[in-house]
Amino acid sequence: MTEARPGRRLAVTGAATAALTALAVYGVFFVAPEDADQGIIQKIFYFHVAIAIGSLLAFAVACVYGIRYLRSRDERHDEISATSVGIGIGFAVLVVITGSIWAKASWGTWWVWTDPRLVTFLVVLLLYAAYFVLRSSAEGERRMRYSAIYSIAAFASVPLSFYSVRVARSFVHPVVLTSSGANMPNTMLVWFAVSQLAVIGAFLTIMQVELLQRRADKALRRIKLRLEAAA
Amino acid sequence: MSTGAQYVVAAYGVILFGLLMYVVVLGLRTARLAREAELLARLAEREGDPDRPREPAATP
Repeated sequence: MTEARPGRRLAVTGAATAALTALAVYGVFFVAPEDADQGIIQKIFYFHVAIAIGSLLAFAVACVYGIRYLRSRDERHDEISATSVGIGIGFAVLVVITGSIWAKASWGTWWVWTDPRLVTFLVVLLLYAAYFVLRSSAEGERRMRYSAIYSIAAFASVPLSFYSVRVARSFVHPVVLTSSGANMPNTMLVWFAVSQLAVIGAFLTIMQVELLQRRADKALRRIKLRLEAAA
Repeated sequence: MSTGAQYVVAAYGVILFGLLMYVVVLGLRTARLAREAELLARLAEREGDPDRPREPAATP
């Protein structure tokens, strides 16, 4: 992901993400109709759900690259996996906070402990937060191997969170994306899709920035070692 | 501003705040990289200086 012309790729991804975000904000606030039931509060949905799906995708990427690391022992796969977990956690924190604000506006309370979606999503977030505790407890190849195994094991919690609300239908959290399609009019769905693309673009942009920084950091460390050896 | 609109502003404000915090962290990390690069550049320049006093070789 950081091999050839990384700067140019980052510029293209970043510009596309910025354009998509601007378009999504315009569409959500100026074009998409207001929800008949919730009114303007429903506008939180577009980025809240898009970021939630983005965080679960980030954890999926971490799992895939964890498997790839175990198969190839390529350090770059470990870097992509760890970076994905970091981005996923950042997204998940935003989801919990924006969801809590939406809950207060819609249900009159900041948090509902009996709702499976809220609780399972929090469990996913805490599980992945433990990833970095584990990562900092080991060094070298062991650290990468443990991280890869943990990223694969922790991914088991993601389907649990995704399907929890579908299984427990009696609870308060609404289900928008069902197996028979999206539970909303096309005039809203199109702007949700743009928001989702913007979030995926943000994920790719942050991923490239992080990998570039790690690459620069490693290069500097190599030079330092070389200079120290020469001195 | 209606109560509903306040919540919407708060939610999108949190996202913007998160993004800005990330930019600040990125800036701090870039500053650290720049500092290290400058230090290494100075070290490399000193290595290339022929007048630099050499450390005596270690005796076995």
